[in-house]
Amino acid sequence: MNRSASVATLVLLALIGASATYVLQRSSAPQIASEQRLLDSRQLLDVMPAALYDNQPLEQPLTLAEPVLRHSTLSGGYRATRSGQTVAVLLRSRSEGYAGTLELLIAIDANGRVLGVKTLEQRETPGLGGYIGEWPNAWLQTFLGKSRTEPTDAGWALKKDQGQFDQIAGATITSRAAINAIHDALRYFDEHQALLLGAGS
Amino acid sequence: MKRTASLLMLVPLLGATQTLSAALGITLMLGAVLGVFAVCMSPLRERLTGTRALLASLILAATLTSCANIMAQRWLLSWQQTSELYIGLIALHCVVLEYHGAFREPVAVSFKRCALFGALMLVVGGLREIIGYGSLGRGLSEHWQGLVLFPEGLHLFTLVPGAFVLLGLLLAVRQAWTRRNSVIKETHRP
Repeated sequence: MNRSASVATLVLLALIGASATYVLQRSSAPQIASEQRLLDSRQLLDVMPAALYDNQPLEQPLTLAEPVLRHSTLSGGYRATRSGQTVAVLLRSRSEGYAGTLELLIAIDANGRVLGVKTLEQRETPGLGGYIGEWPNAWLQTFLGKSRTEPTDAGWALKKDQGQFDQIAGATITSRAAINAIHDALRYFDEHQALLLGAGS
Repeated sequence: MKRTASLLMLVPLLGATQTLSAALGITLMLGAVLGVFAVCMSPLRERLTGTRALLASLILAATLTSCANIMAQRWLLSWQQTSELYIGLIALHCVVLEYHGAFREPVAVSFKRCALFGALMLVVGGLREIIGYGSLGRGLSEHWQGLVLFPEGLHLFTLVPGAFVLLGLLLAVRQAWTRRNSVIKETHRP
């Protein structure tokens, strides 16, 4: 076979290859995006049991008034409902850890009790405070069922600070930041309960 | 010559077999892409020679791998995200195998080799999952949590070095087995 024919074959092959990939990419893009959203939301929402709610909480973001709290800042919130009734509010909280920003997702049920806490972002020391980034996380599970009044304000601290919570070994500052952020979120929930729970839309 | 190709096959064998389901995914994908590649390459091989044949195999491998990657994203996104690197490498496997003439061997020989390699992938994947996580078949189906054998596993075996250790042990077992069953020393094939 001569030179020009084989070059033509190559060009044709390249064209077919590029267009096939392009068409497949174009036709799959929406589905891939929705799969990605589903995966992201599953990663966020495994902070609470899936049987608890029946809506898409991430599609119902809350607008938070006065999001700057004593030790942390709330960067967003979501509402989880079940047959129209609000069952939980998810708050994204950012605070300063030992080495950088610590971002937590805190799920609070309608009675103001902690349903779950999950670390979304952390830059703590690996092997010490970095333990907070693992999921499932035994230390963060000690906060389940706690509320703003139970324990009292004084109890919302490390045992080292005369509170009632254990700390992550070797990571006092990280543990303190997490406890303060959770306490802040619970206090915020108490103060803005009506607004956060809404009419249950 | 042959050694390069075998060494390259070690990459998915060690890297993409954390669990049985991951190993099954990459094995199926390797099989599908290599199969389509071999079929498409056979008419081209007669028309093109030398560098042009290599260039054609490059284009074909890139196309098939990208399409397979997009389809994996579409239907198996969570698996695709953990194995993305190894899916991309399939294109390199195609080109290297083509360069070494692996597709020009009789169909029965290459089919047997592929089947053996696939079985090895699944065995390594299954053993790594059992030792590393203490379960088997996790993530194969959404409704089945997998067979839990131990509550906790050895973390080392979920990592690539653990896979290397396991492969070494498997080779040792094979060596011992063949020595016991035959007096003739077998040349060992990685």
